[in-house]
Amino acid sequence: MQVREVRDDLVNRVRFLTALAVVALVVIGSTFWFVQMVHGSFYRELAESNRLRRIPLQAPRGLIFDRNGTLLVDNVPSYGLLIDRSRTRDLTAALRFAADILERPLAELEAALAKNAGAPAFRPILLAEGLSLTQVTRFEVKRLEHPEFEVEVRHQRLYRHGAQTAHVLGYLGEVSEREIESSEGAFELGDLVGKRGIEQFYDSALRGTDGERVVVVDSRGQVLDKAGGTPAAAGQPLRLSIDLGLQQEAQRQLQDKVGAVVALDPRTGEIRAIVSSPSYNPNALGRRISTEDWQAIVTAPHNPLQNRTVQNTYSPGSVFKIVVASAGLAEGVVDRGTRVHCAGAATIYNHRFRCWRQGGHGSVNLEEAIKHSCDVYFYHLGQKLGIDRIARYSRLFGLGHGTGIDLRGEKSGLVPDPAWSLAARKHPWYAGETISVAIGQGPLLTTPLQVAAMMAGVANGGRMITPHLVEGTVAPPPDGLNLPPGVLDPVRRALWAVVNEPGGTAAASKVKGLEVAGKTGTVQVVSQATWTKNESLPFEKRDHAWFASFAPADAPELVVVVFVEHGGGGSKVAAPIAKALYEKYFRIGDDAPVPGP
Amino acid sequence: MRSISGSATTPRFLAPESSPWGQFSGVDWAVLFSMLLLTTIGLLTVRSASADMTIDYFPRQLVWVCLGLVVFAVAVSIEYAVLVDLALPLYGIGCVLLVLVLFIGQVRGGAQSWLGYGSVGFQPSEVAKLATTLLLARFLAAVNRRVLTFRDIAFAGLIVAVPVLLVVVEPDLGGAAMFMPMLAGMLLVGGVRIKVLLLAIAAVVALGAGIWFYGMHDYQRERVQTFLNPGTDPRGKGYQVRQSKIAVGSGELHGKGYMQGTQSKLKFLPARHTDFIFAVLAEEWGFLGVVTVLFLYAVFIVNGARIAMRARDREGILLVVGLLSIISFHVLYNTAMVVGLVPITGIPLPFLSYGGTFMLFNFAATGIILGVDIRRYVNR
Repeated sequence: MQVREVRDDLVNRVRFLTALAVVALVVIGSTFWFVQMVHGSFYRELAESNRLRRIPLQAPRGLIFDRNGTLLVDNVPSYGLLIDRSRTRDLTAALRFAADILERPLAELEAALAKNAGAPAFRPILLAEGLSLTQVTRFEVKRLEHPEFEVEVRHQRLYRHGAQTAHVLGYLGEVSEREIESSEGAFELGDLVGKRGIEQFYDSALRGTDGERVVVVDSRGQVLDKAGGTPAAAGQPLRLSIDLGLQQEAQRQLQDKVGAVVALDPRTGEIRAIVSSPSYNPNALGRRISTEDWQAIVTAPHNPLQNRTVQNTYSPGSVFKIVVASAGLAEGVVDRGTRVHCAGAATIYNHRFRCWRQGGHGSVNLEEAIKHSCDVYFYHLGQKLGIDRIARYSRLFGLGHGTGIDLRGEKSGLVPDPAWSLAARKHPWYAGETISVAIGQGPLLTTPLQVAAMMAGVANGGRMITPHLVEGTVAPPPDGLNLPPGVLDPVRRALWAVVNEPGGTAAASKVKGLEVAGKTGTVQVVSQATWTKNESLPFEKRDHAWFASFAPADAPELVVVVFVEHGGGGSKVAAPIAKALYEKYFRIGDDAPVPGP
Repeated sequence: MRSISGSATTPRFLAPESSPWGQFSGVDWAVLFSMLLLTTIGLLTVRSASADMTIDYFPRQLVWVCLGLVVFAVAVSIEYAVLVDLALPLYGIGCVLLVLVLFIGQVRGGAQSWLGYGSVGFQPSEVAKLATTLLLARFLAAVNRRVLTFRDIAFAGLIVAVPVLLVVVEPDLGGAAMFMPMLAGMLLVGGVRIKVLLLAIAAVVALGAGIWFYGMHDYQRERVQTFLNPGTDPRGKGYQVRQSKIAVGSGELHGKGYMQGTQSKLKFLPARHTDFIFAVLAEEWGFLGVVTVLFLYAVFIVNGARIAMRARDREGILLVVGLLSIISFHVLYNTAMVVGLVPITGIPLPFLSYGGTFMLFNFAATGIILGVDIRRYVNR
């Protein structure tokens, strides 16, 4: 019986082990059920993302032309190096390999990577741009050992006229984190967006829609097959109202000067030239500009990145007399015959205000006051009008608020009045300030573009326009400047006299064969107790020079506003530049016929 | 020793006279057919797994299966008592081979574990495993006590320790670990007290800790760490588990179809013809395929255990338990590993994974098990 028991003992233990094994098999089977049946779709998607690779196709950005169809911005191919961090085991070794081929310091690549450290591991990150074909080949040859590297062809913007169109066109740059957040998913890290100018304002139209190519890859990243995708839709081309010839001429005229030129069609508001000087080379501002290059641009004298036509505000000086004269006529405060005696200075509100001309102009009417830019006449006119009416007409002429141009970052300038004084300066308006404002000095500030828009309103008889670079996208200006017909005629006639009659402040810039009307302005940067020769002052204390004009005087087709920072007198510095632009635009001196609008 | 075991302690039955199969009439068809079915499934899966590889492993596996069938036939034919009698010299040969491999062996997969010339070779650890099982069965059968003494256990441990240490220094941890279920299974059935077995397990844990800190290569430590924290780095430590689970999970109920698995065809799955063959099967045949194969293994194990339970003598019981423990543990560990339950170790799946020596071992072991069965009525 003992034998039997021993055997039963053994059998029972075998049975126990078998039960253990079966239970283990059931547990394992249940795990398979869990992985395959419960989480199957999750793993199916992972298998798909293993298998399929989405290769983004960059949409070619819209080309930009001038009004005559001349290409301003082109797309040229450029080779960029991408790294897919999920495909490498040894990131440092991979970077060292790349640095070796690129002949760039390892730290530079590490920095590029660190900048995108937050991106998911499987998203390729741009390490370097502008690879040579030799470098591209070397990466392709080592594709098997280094599957983490990919060379992509990208379209790069080529600004064909460089600095000449820099401010109007802008440039592209890597999207900032703030832009990503405010774009609501439209942008991703590493995307290029327009940073200034037309590139920025019309970014969504120009950018098009990126497509993607879906391919089947194996574990080493080798492409085995196509699996569909969507083609990229090219960005919309843009035709600007800019006239490249005029733009280039304006740029040449401002060479070595600090200033701005705006030329526009007063009938439509189409901008023909918009130049700020100094300028910069937009082709150097790729998305991965080196710190030194960037510093060089940022710290360059007179801040070349600043677009002085819309981003800087200046006292309008005597150019503002046009607004004051128009207000005086419209309000009936003066008429053509109203005369004022100028003795070189006037004492108003117990303060002595000097005329620019030592000795005075004698007895002048409105037309003569504009022609000679007599300050005393406008001191009296300003006093009669009062600051509130001056401010109202200033705003009607488009000052004190943005013009609505299709460029970002436009400054609104400043039209001062008592309400502003209390709000901003916490003290009441001084009556004497009205007298300064009447000749365009004092707290009054305008951009060169605002002056151009104002001139357009005067040129076309009192109708305001919205300056623009692309047709049909800007809002019309607010109504308001509804002057009775003929009210501005004396002003326009006076502006004609400024250029075309002997003794006018811009008579030296008379254009042969074209009747130009305009107004000079000279802005004192430092107040002077005496009449000092401007040339003897240091640069930053010299006067600013203005010239605001239109032509032909009887049926204006072009407004030209020239502003030269610390340039000296408007008649000596600014007016000759406008003359050169009119000659260029109306082909004076050419045999060719005058171009149509 | 002979006189203690065998006829004296086992009840005897007479073989049915009428069977035309003679002594083969008692063969266990469930074990035989599950083995053949699993082998066939293995051949097909190896063919799919290696379809995209530079070497097509299917013809090679076919050759190994044919060799395996020969080995199987031989193993069935030999009287297991003879094998047990020869256990000591066989054990000696096994240990000598293990020593030899340390000096002239080829390094494969980080371990110097192969004997052979060129691409033809075999793993002496498989031979040693078989020989050790035989010797252990012989020893434990001879002890013939209801409860094993400490000295018995220590001696049994010593028998296993020699080849295990030799395999550990190769270093082939997975291979060494496979001696343990055999030892544990045979000791338990042979009559160890539960208390003692727990003590032994504690000792093994201590040994494991020792190996972890002093006896492991970095890549092996990484593999264990992978188990603890997979998915942190797709190409790094967790890569294999992750890809294996993706393969298994994406198979869902019906699978992607034979030869259609993207994880294996696009080379995402590592060691897909050997250690991860079951992931290939799970991807292509889905949960249905998995259940089918697991069921066949259950049939094999349960019926193998029944052979142990009805064996003629202590030697037979212990021999079957030892061999079955090895095979079962391979099955359990490999399938659990593929689905991410246990750390990745180089433990192949019996009858399915590609691998010559291992294939021969499984056929030999199954042959011996069936040999024990058909001799259950024979009176010696």
